[in-house]
Amino acid sequence: MRKGLVQVTDGKERLGHWVLAISCLCLCVTGLGMMFHSFNFLGTLVGGLANLKMIHNYVGLIFTISLLVMIRMWWREAGVFVFPEDMDWIKAAGGYLWHVDKVPETGKYNPGQKAFFLVVAIFGALMVVSGLIMWFPSVFPVGLVRWMYPLHALGFVVIFAFFFVHLYLGTIGNPGSVQAMTTGWMEKPVLKMLHPKWFKEMEEKGEFIEYGVEPKPKETGHH
Amino acid sequence: MSTKPELVKLIDTTLCTACRGCQVACKQWNEMPGLRTKQTGTYQNPPDLQWNTWTLIRFQEYLDENKKIHWLFRKDGCMHCTDAACVKVCPSGALHYTPLKTVGLDRNKCIGCKECVAACPFHIPRYNASTDKVYKCDLCYTRLTEGLPPACVKSCPTGALTIGEKNKMIKKAYARVKQLGGDANVYGDKFVDGTHVIYVLQYKPEVYDELPVKPSVPLSVVIWKDLLKPLSLLGAGGVVAGSFVHYMLHGPKAPPPEGTNEAGKTEGGE
Repeated sequence: MRKGLVQVTDGKERLGHWVLAISCLCLCVTGLGMMFHSFNFLGTLVGGLANLKMIHNYVGLIFTISLLVMIRMWWREAGVFVFPEDMDWIKAAGGYLWHVDKVPETGKYNPGQKAFFLVVAIFGALMVVSGLIMWFPSVFPVGLVRWMYPLHALGFVVIFAFFFVHLYLGTIGNPGSVQAMTTGWMEKPVLKMLHPKWFKEMEEKGEFIEYGVEPKPKETGHH
Repeated sequence: MSTKPELVKLIDTTLCTACRGCQVACKQWNEMPGLRTKQTGTYQNPPDLQWNTWTLIRFQEYLDENKKIHWLFRKDGCMHCTDAACVKVCPSGALHYTPLKTVGLDRNKCIGCKECVAACPFHIPRYNASTDKVYKCDLCYTRLTEGLPPACVKSCPTGALTIGEKNKMIKKAYARVKQLGGDANVYGDKFVDGTHVIYVLQYKPEVYDELPVKPSVPLSVVIWKDLLKPLSLLGAGGVVAGSFVHYMLHGPKAPPPEGTNEAGKTEGGE
């Protein structure tokens, strides 16, 4: 690493993100193996479809825990819309869909990121609840159990759509942003472009944690 | 096999004497064990269908409008739907349509997910936790392919159970209903695209215990399998293609050229 980098996430955030992301992907793949007969072969790879179901169920538990941790960790920053600035950003679609001379500035997370967070939180919770009922259907009334399957499928449709857009915008759609979830250190110009308001706030307060720079006296422990 | 005629089993409840020979024959042919049961004050035994009991005579005391009591016997079991909810939801293909259009169950493929248990409008498939598999009547498929009647039909001493070519059996059922008169009706040929087990009932279907009046593939199953399943492929393909098009046409967001970047200076730490 080198100078000019700013720390934007800590280790706990990145670990939480990746446990959630990998468990989510694993659930998508194992779920597909059961949703489509043409994907049944995925079961063969793990010694049978019953094993695939078991993997799906237990990875679901990991997903549940990391989802709860993630919601607790991020809902203040990413779960609450701030008006009117977020509305201005939404009206300009964040400059992603048509040309915008100056994208309205928002806080650390823009409304697109907040929408993704909320979708994962809400539909993730829906997946957990419907999934648990599907796991133990005999203790619930059949009229309830029946609706868990379409809800679970709906959750997949929504989460997968948002997941892929998230993947695209977090990598090649915004070059330089993926480092936020790999090393945790981002280039200043990229950061300033994507999160200008937060950038200015941090700059004014002098709260940036810069690579190779001693933190301000009031802070301790970070290098 | 596919050249074989579509078969229908007719259960004429008005001829049933509740001897339960069919229940015993079913267990014997399918080598299902008997389990300890409970006396519930009725001859109906066991109290309900179980993983090891694929057919059951339901005993019911029915008081008609004239306060006259009737003892109703109805042989319960898989109806072998033409449009079967269980086959529709089964993720592994364990539940399937046989060449005879009956609903078969390949237990080796069953993963014990119990989706069929919730989906079946007749509440037929039963789960056995110790084997983690689901069980139900297969209309003695192996017997049918050898030209033999199902074990239950073979055992029936009164002619309440008969099996034969679909149209002939439906005709026979309607002839019997005409003969019986009153509320007598044929149950099974009008829903889920026709079942391969049909009843002649003396009374309206709502009179009978555990018999759905208008059985259908549940709406939740239709939304799930006919709407959301294709939508999931469409949605997944859509976002992948959409992202690609976005990258090609709109392009990635890049930071402004180096010269306009003042961040380093104002920080003063570099």
